[in-house]
Amino acid sequence: MAVRTIDVREKVMARNDELATEVRQRLAQHRVAALNLVSAPGSGKTMLLERTLERLGGDLTLAVITGDVQTQNDADRLARHTDQLVQAVVTGGACHLDARQVLTALDAVDLASTDLVFVENVGNLVCPASWDLGETAKVVLFSVTEGEDKPLKYPKMFRQSRYAVLNKIDLLPHVPFDLDLAVRHAHTVNPALEFFFTSALTGEGLDDWCAFVRRCARSARN
Amino acid sequence: MHELSLANEICRIAEANAGPAGPAAVRQVAVEVGDQSGVEPESLTFCLEVLLSQPPFGSATPRLIRQPGDVLRVSYLEVDDGRPDD
Repeated sequence: MAVRTIDVREKVMARNDELATEVRQRLAQHRVAALNLVSAPGSGKTMLLERTLERLGGDLTLAVITGDVQTQNDADRLARHTDQLVQAVVTGGACHLDARQVLTALDAVDLASTDLVFVENVGNLVCPASWDLGETAKVVLFSVTEGEDKPLKYPKMFRQSRYAVLNKIDLLPHVPFDLDLAVRHAHTVNPALEFFFTSALTGEGLDDWCAFVRRCARSARN
Repeated sequence: MHELSLANEICRIAEANAGPAGPAAVRQVAVEVGDQSGVEPESLTFCLEVLLSQPPFGSATPRLIRQPGDVLRVSYLEVDDGRPDD
């Protein structure tokens, strides 16, 4: 009996990439931008979103799809700060969101009256880098209580992201964190990475960040 | 633990490409894994060993082909389809 070789040559992510294309088409059809927020746990994604919703919720309709591993805590926190739609995906243990989950979540979003969709990914700097969700851009967050070498330790995520937010800058006087070195490390792995420096707690830097979110919503409309 | 998600997807692709003999006839699943693919090879091997030893597979084993870059794809299958040698 013969053992035969069958050539396959199929990308493992091919199915996810097809679904991500569907997400992209649906967003394009309604001319809505989507930002995929990725970070390690505790960098401040949820709080940055809370402050963003407070500041922009008056004149932009922002939808949020949150990915939480086991609870709906992030969605509940965001729902307290806005009456905008919050669609939670509880991954049940999975370390990332995939395009199918986002596509399903979008069914509950009224894209016709939405200006921009935030996807708050599961807190993890490794796995979410491998999944295209059909987003306009990935935004990677890290904070000054983490190491300056985070971009070197997680190069794939920093390479895949177009924007970076360095958060908790109010703590800079209290922690041994070299901001210039962190930015240099990030630009070593991705020279095109555009930075925002924020404190979601004090509001520092949020004007620039919110202006950027407005620009994203506007450029998708045009 | 995204290797388990990837292993599930690899098994789906292997099942779809197994041909008339079906997944039970698959003996080996070869996967190209790039060193920048964000995949931990030992973890992926472990997940594939578990999944490929269960129905609808019979006793298939994974073979990981390490490569530079971010490639991650099912390269080929070895299938014992029960037919005599050519």
